[in-house]
Amino acid sequence: MIRLLQALREAGVLLLVAAALGFIHTAATEKGMFARPAPALAAQSAGLPAPAMVTRDQAQVYFDSGTAAFIDARHEFDYKLGHIRGAINIPLRMYETKKAALDTIPKSRLLVVYCDGAECNSSIELSVKLTKDGYTDVKIFFGGWSEWTSSNLPIDKSP
Amino acid sequence: MKNLLSNPHLVLVTRIFIGLLFIFSSLDKIVDPSAFVRSVADYGLLPSWMPAIIATILPWVELLCGFGVLFGLFLRGTSLLLSAMLVVFTLAVMSALLRGLDISCGCFTQDPAAGHIGWMKVVENTSLFALTLFLYFSDTTKFTLIEYLQKSGNEQHHSPQAKTTINP
Repeated sequence: MIRLLQALREAGVLLLVAAALGFIHTAATEKGMFARPAPALAAQSAGLPAPAMVTRDQAQVYFDSGTAAFIDARHEFDYKLGHIRGAINIPLRMYETKKAALDTIPKSRLLVVYCDGAECNSSIELSVKLTKDGYTDVKIFFGGWSEWTSSNLPIDKSP
Repeated sequence: MKNLLSNPHLVLVTRIFIGLLFIFSSLDKIVDPSAFVRSVADYGLLPSWMPAIIATILPWVELLCGFGVLFGLFLRGTSLLLSAMLVVFTLAVMSALLRGLDISCGCFTQDPAAGHIGWMKVVENTSLFALTLFLYFSDTTKFTLIEYLQKSGNEQHHSPQAKTTINP
């Protein structure tokens, strides 16, 4: 019992020190949670124009008109639970293996990329990759899945 | 078992192995926390705001625990933390495998092209868990920095020169 109490005390102190070091390091280096999520930054480093952000209303207009292909940057598991109707799933981390799903889409077609919502950056990073691969009209629906579902817009579920 | 737990050489070898392993595994995560955020998020177990916080703190916990175990400092606390972390890691990997996720581990490298998780990872983590638990229950301070400091402290205390400097 004494051993456990001593261990818990030490573990608590270690956690606090680790948290302090972690926050100081990531803040000082502007990485991780302190990284600037602006698409401009990612695009800038790739030497490309920054993809534009679209609001939910604009995304809905694109959806209703059928002019855009929606790209879901989330994980396959989340996609299967539900996604914007007709969206193509290209998880950011599996871009190289999944991008073949876009082979039939012309490079000039409007692509609207989304992920969970304002707290994820996958849509931004995926849009940069798509732009790099020659897609000329890529937009980010930053409100993503959470805004789409909270407005009860059309979704699909995969088995 | 009692003999094993107080065998200083066995404890030392385990400390060096576990210590270096966790120091090594923390480095890539500290260098590229953003990649680690994605690795954590890929498991799909946490609300979207949590991976960033975990990716900020966890690598440093691994680094501190790695050094702690290596030098035998706060061995109880560090080995307990590592055991608890390994339980969580193992459960996360198992849950991902059961859900059929094809993701990379994010354990030692953040390179997405690195090998993906499989049941071997569960075996590996369980073995590491056993070793950290062994360190937690070990009861020898031999070959630790603490022992070294205590020894040198005692020597100083008993040497007449030290006495004269302390009580002139």
